[in-house]
Amino acid sequence: MNRVLANTLTSPYPTTIQTSLESYALNVRYDPSGRFLAAGRQDGVAVIWDLDTKGQVRWLDGHVKMITSVDWSQNSRYVLTASKDWNVIIWDLASESEYPRRKATVRFDVPVVSASFHPKNSQILLVLTSFELWIVDLRSEYKGQYELVEVFDDSDEEGGSHRARNGFAAARFDPSGKHVFVGTTSGTLLVFNTRTKTMIARHKISGAGIIRGLVFHPSGRRLVTNSSDRVLRQLNLPVYAPPTADNEYIEQELEPTHRFHDPISKVAWHNMSYSPDGEWLAGGAADDAAHKIYIWDLAREGLLASTLDGGRELLTDVHWHPNKPSIASTTNLGSIFIWHCPTEERWGAFAGGFEEVDENIEYEEREDEFDIEDEAEIARRKMLEEEEDVDIDGVVESVTNGAADLIRQNGEDDEDALWALDDPDDDVKGWKLKVISEDDDMM
Amino acid sequence: MNVDGDDYKPADEFSETNGYDEPQAEPLPPPDGRESVAPTALSPPPLPDSSTQTPAPVPQPKPHTPYRPNYKPTLMLSGHSRSISSVKFSPDGSMLASCAADKLVKLWDSETGDIIHTFEGHTEGVSDVAWSGNGDFLASASDDKTVRLWSMEDYAERKVLYGHTNFVFCVNFSPSSSLLASGGFDESVRVWDVSKGKTLKTLPAHSDPVTAVTFNHDGTLIASCSMDGLIRIWDTESGQCLKTLADDDNPICSHIKFTPNSVFILASTQDSTIRLWKAQTSKCVKTYTGHTNRTYCISTDFAPGHKHIVSGSEDMKVYIWDLQTREIVQVLEGHRDVVLAVASHPTRPMIASAAMEKDLTIRIWADEPLVGV
Repeated sequence: MNRVLANTLTSPYPTTIQTSLESYALNVRYDPSGRFLAAGRQDGVAVIWDLDTKGQVRWLDGHVKMITSVDWSQNSRYVLTASKDWNVIIWDLASESEYPRRKATVRFDVPVVSASFHPKNSQILLVLTSFELWIVDLRSEYKGQYELVEVFDDSDEEGGSHRARNGFAAARFDPSGKHVFVGTTSGTLLVFNTRTKTMIARHKISGAGIIRGLVFHPSGRRLVTNSSDRVLRQLNLPVYAPPTADNEYIEQELEPTHRFHDPISKVAWHNMSYSPDGEWLAGGAADDAAHKIYIWDLAREGLLASTLDGGRELLTDVHWHPNKPSIASTTNLGSIFIWHCPTEERWGAFAGGFEEVDENIEYEEREDEFDIEDEAEIARRKMLEEEEDVDIDGVVESVTNGAADLIRQNGEDDEDALWALDDPDDDVKGWKLKVISEDDDMM
Repeated sequence: MNVDGDDYKPADEFSETNGYDEPQAEPLPPPDGRESVAPTALSPPPLPDSSTQTPAPVPQPKPHTPYRPNYKPTLMLSGHSRSISSVKFSPDGSMLASCAADKLVKLWDSETGDIIHTFEGHTEGVSDVAWSGNGDFLASASDDKTVRLWSMEDYAERKVLYGHTNFVFCVNFSPSSSLLASGGFDESVRVWDVSKGKTLKTLPAHSDPVTAVTFNHDGTLIASCSMDGLIRIWDTESGQCLKTLADDDNPICSHIKFTPNSVFILASTQDSTIRLWKAQTSKCVKTYTGHTNRTYCISTDFAPGHKHIVSGSEDMKVYIWDLQTREIVQVLEGHRDVVLAVASHPTRPMIASAAMEKDLTIRIWADEPLVGV
């Protein structure tokens, strides 16, 4: 809304640090509305920050070891935390306390590397542990934990012993939630169908090494991989056919459309994040001397647009705001940096009817500018102008999530989508976090 | 976004209760075209309807037969002992909050008119009250230079916000309820953190007392107006001034309110005029006149259904204009002093109004559509 009025051109990506929040955080995620930030900490606590007030509003205290990932449900009611203490917890922020109660705890027998919600239903989870990958379905009708396993062609049976199983290093739902994408330790990208849990594709990414990070473009048609060869690759994804009865899968090599890396320092990457319109990519560098975020312009052949320097605290995670040119990054000392692009104060805004100009311009008087007009005539014309109807209810602007809206419209009615929407969660739209006023004696 | 599906649900309930109260008034089967206007104006249409309605006016130039409401007094609430400065319905419409120069904030049942609670604590008169978006808190602004936050759970005083250096005149919550904006005679606007009760920002807003401050529907903008005659729009996050709206004659601006979609600002000024400004173009698109407003800061609101404008007046009446044609469609008489405060029920065709010293009543008016005229 304020974008409409501030008629200055602002940078499409952030440029400087706006605030630093002290949080002991290792990883951060904006909620889908962009109003909150969930931060997972070393000591097993996750904290919800309200960005309106830059204050900590909720404490998710349940893990006893470091939190490895945090995720939000689509309407921000539930938060999912995964930890090295072998547990995955779903927190319900609708509980009326600063210490929300948990909706569910899922226990594994090894440390959990990451966990995420299904984009359409927060009762379906994707959990990557140190050894296995699970889809956890909490809905009563489908209840269960389903392991996703890589399948191999029967033809190369003889190789079966030494390549018994590729390790899984990263796993994500695609934005539609129909597929699960998995990065393996042997440089392949596996695709599973979420509903049938069958593998439908294996993509070889040559030269990648271990694929330990995956991030989707808002459209869901592309993704970026982060791999042990220190290169971020953007890949265009093919369209996958619905799974067949005999569990066939496609074997295909994918060629990256862009490769992002630092040719000089050869830095590795901790994480990456697309801008909401998908035109920019931010990469958080695993630099051992400085806090650096690289920003590439995808509209211009993936050219490096900017490098953000955040000082000496080393970067651990980076996430782009869901609808603004703003980025949150965490440091090894536990700070959360909020990056924004500052707008210059326009002093002309304080005077009604004035417009600022950058340079002197010669003013050309309009022919009738100082003509003396009949006041009655002016009043009459004003009355006529006011005859026009005004619309005070209709919302004019839509949020900049254009790309994401597009996929929501497409194919909402096929079997996979209906399966996910069955037995919906109570994470309803329009839900609001209760404001809890702190007791005065706490301060 | 406040304008969501659930807000409109009670509208249906209304048509039921209305039918129950007034068996002869059956708004549902409209006998002819003229009548069919009535139910829509009466109860806000469900969301999909309003969206289909907006493109509709383009093809056929519709004849302007503005729906004339027929508000009738239903309740009279007495309790305040000095001028009543503001009345506000709770977000769910079940309660009405009022405040007055007698230092009290009162809470009324909007259905029965019974008093629910009286909040005592302010040491000077109270100028404004505001509800948080979820109805959990009530904020009141007072001449004792404080804003007080009252909890609706236990009716206890939750926070006293100190910071203003002079009378606090106006207050409003952000849509998320985590922020509060207040303005006063120290000519500044303060933005507060509701949960901590601390000032987040002080905006050097005006060069005269600030008479109204409000957030837009998504909370990204704050608008303030002042006796210096200016309306300023601020960016909530940065606190920067984005725009200033000013009329040529600079009349004292006494109240502002964003339209539900935040495209326009409704501003009343002490030249007995109410103007609708388009924020983006800084143009006045509608003017409403006929009432008297030369001395006091009188509040204005969109009447239930968003098709009318309602305002108090110094001639002891309440005026209702058609939003589009700018005609006065009804004048409510009954108060015996200047009507300072008006408020519209969020879901039902109900208006509350309150007046000064010689009257001291809050009146509730309900629209009872004429049938078969």
